[in-house]
Amino acid sequence: MNMVQALNSAMDLKMSEDDSVIILGEDVGRDGGVFRVTDGLQAKYGPQRVIDTPLSELGIVGMAIGMAVNGLKPIPEIQFQDFIYTAMDQIINQMAKIRYRSGGDYTVPLVLRTPVGGGIKGGLYHSQSGEAYFAHTAGLTVVSPSNPYDAKGLLISAIESPDPVIFLEPKRLYRSQKAEVPDEKYSVPLRKASVLKQGNDVTMITYGSMVPTVMSVASKSKYDVEVIDLRTIAPMDRDTIISSVKKTGRVVIVHEAPRTLGVGAEISAMISERAIEYLYAPILRVTGPDTPFPYRLEDYYLPNEARINAALDRVMAFR
Amino acid sequence: MTEVLDQDEKNLIVRGFTSMVLGRYFDKKIITAQRQGLVGFYTPMMGQEATQAGAAMALSKDDNVYGYYRDVTMLIYLGHPIEKIFDQIMGNAEDSAKGRQMPSHYSAKEINFMSVPSPVATNLPLAVGAAYAKKYRKQDGIVITTFGDGGTSTPDFHAAMNFAAVFDLPVVFLCENNGWAISLPVEKQTKAEIYKKAEAYGMKGVYVDGNDFIKTYRTVKEAVEYARSGNPILVEARSYRMGPHSTSDDPSKYRKNEVQENSDLDPLVIAEKLMISGGYLNQAEIDKIKDESKKMIDEKFEERLKIPAPAPETMFDDVYSEMTWAIEEERGDILRR
Repeated sequence: MNMVQALNSAMDLKMSEDDSVIILGEDVGRDGGVFRVTDGLQAKYGPQRVIDTPLSELGIVGMAIGMAVNGLKPIPEIQFQDFIYTAMDQIINQMAKIRYRSGGDYTVPLVLRTPVGGGIKGGLYHSQSGEAYFAHTAGLTVVSPSNPYDAKGLLISAIESPDPVIFLEPKRLYRSQKAEVPDEKYSVPLRKASVLKQGNDVTMITYGSMVPTVMSVASKSKYDVEVIDLRTIAPMDRDTIISSVKKTGRVVIVHEAPRTLGVGAEISAMISERAIEYLYAPILRVTGPDTPFPYRLEDYYLPNEARINAALDRVMAFR
Repeated sequence: MTEVLDQDEKNLIVRGFTSMVLGRYFDKKIITAQRQGLVGFYTPMMGQEATQAGAAMALSKDDNVYGYYRDVTMLIYLGHPIEKIFDQIMGNAEDSAKGRQMPSHYSAKEINFMSVPSPVATNLPLAVGAAYAKKYRKQDGIVITTFGDGGTSTPDFHAAMNFAAVFDLPVVFLCENNGWAISLPVEKQTKAEIYKKAEAYGMKGVYVDGNDFIKTYRTVKEAVEYARSGNPILVEARSYRMGPHSTSDDPSKYRKNEVQENSDLDPLVIAEKLMISGGYLNQAEIDKIKDESKKMIDEKFEERLKIPAPAPETMFDDVYSEMTWAIEEERGDILRR
C-alpha cells in the first residue's frame, strides 16, 4: 500500500467497527478528497457519515468539535494545512481547551487530518508546514507519519484517542513509497518515537516528510548515524531522544518547516537541559529557511542530502 | 386575557418570573461583591432577564444549550443550583471547572449547558455539530445557542447559520440583542435587522420583544417546535443591556443609560405588571418572592465565600486524558517547596 491507501484503510476499518466515526470536509465524499484519501468511503458508509461540507474551515472544525463533545468521533479534513488559519480560533480556543476549561466534564475526541509540506509545486499556499503552531498549544496531540505502515497504525491510534489529534500528512509522501501494510487493524502508539536506524556516531532527529531523505543520507554516510522518527511531534518522546543523545553525543535535527522557533528549537533546548554534558558538538538544525515557501525554487527551500551531509560533517569535526 | 390558562402554564410562568427575580438579585450581589473586592470580575446580565427566562421556559430536558457569558437567568431557570453559579464566579474548590475560567464562563453538564468560552459566538459552530450528532443518533431534543448582537458580525455566526441550514439541523439561534457590544451600538454593528439575516441562509427568522418574558416564551416555544423537525431558525429578542459590558467597563464614556432600574422599561417591572394583569400572582405574592430570593442569594453567597481556592496541583490536570512528562515536570518545579 502507499500512504493514501493506508490512511484510507485505517478510516475504513474504524468506520466499519464504530458507527460514531464520521468524516467531514470539503470534497471528501463524492470526490473522495482532492488527494483521494477518503475515496470510496461515502459510497460505502453513506453521505450521513462521509459529509461533503460547505467551504468553511472554521465551520468544518467547529462542527466537528460539537460532534465530538456529543459522543461522535469525527475526522474533519482540511484540504490543505495552508487553509486552516480561519479555523485556528476553534482549534486553539475550543478544541484544545474544552477538557481543561470544563474540568474534564466535556472532551473532544477527534482527529483533524490535513496534508502538509512542499515538493509538489504548490507554492506559498499549498506547501506549508505549520506543525509548530499546533505543537505550541497545550491540549493538542500533533502526529505526522513518514511511511504507509505508521500512517495506518498512527491514524487508528489517533481515532481511538480520547484527546484531539492534529494529524499532519506529508503530501509528497502520499504516493512516493509503497510498503507492506497489513489489511487488518493494528495500531502504532502515540507519544512514541521510532528508532529507524541504530548508530553510534551521531543522532539525526526528524519526522514526516524529511524521513526518507534523512534515511537515504544515513544509509550512505561514512558515519554511523542513528535516525529517530518522532512520529508524534507533541507531546514529544523525551526518553528515546535523550537516551540516543547520551549514546552518540552529537545531534542533527532535520525538518522542512522554517527554523526560527520550529520544532527543532524545542528539541535542541530539551537536549541542552537534560544531556548537555554528553554533547561533543553543538546541536545543528537543517531546516527550511525563514521565508515563505517559493513556487519555482522549492528545491532550494527543502532540505536536501547535501545540506544534511554538511551538517553531519560539522558535528563530526568536533572531537 | 382571553385564553384559558391551565395550571401547568401558570406554574411555568411563575417559575419564569421567579428566575428573573433571582437573576436580578444575583447580578446585583456580584456587582457589589466585585466592588468590595470579593470577586474578580463579572459580566452583568441585568436587562436580559426576560429574554433568558422566556427562552429557558421553552426548553425541555432533552435540549442542549450552547450559551454565552451573560446567561445567568437561563441557568437559574434550567435548574443549575445558585451555589454552583457562585462557585464558578468565585473559582473555588467546588467549581466544576476547578477555578480555571474567569467569572461568567459557566459550564453545567447536568443540565446540558455547554462550557462557555470568551471569544464571541465561537460556541455557535459547536451547537451545529451537537445538533448533527442528535439528528444522526435520532435523539429527541434540539440545540439552542445564544449570543449577543456583536456576535452576528463574526465568521462563526456565518458558518454556523450556513451549516445548520445546509444540513437541516434542529438548531435555534437566539440572538440576545441587548443593543450594545461593549461601546458599539447595534446600529453600528450591522446595517440590517438581525432576524432578517436568516433569509440569506434559506432559514426562517423571527423577532420578539425580549423585554416581555411571556411573549419571548411563546416565540421561542414555537421556534423550538419548528426546529425539532430539522428546521434551523433565528430568533432575535431585543432587550437593553442595563449594566456595563463587564465590571471593568465604564459605559458613561460612550452612552447615556436609557433604561434605569425600576423604570417602566425595566424588564422586571414589565414582568411584575404581566403577573398582576394576567392574574398569575398578586402584589403580596410578588413581594414574598422578592424577599425570599434576596435572602437566598445573600445567604448562599456568604456560604460559598467560605470555600477555599482549588488545590494548586489541580491546575495541571485535564490538559490531556493522560498527563505529559513535560506537565508532570513543570508541576514538580512549581509546587516544590
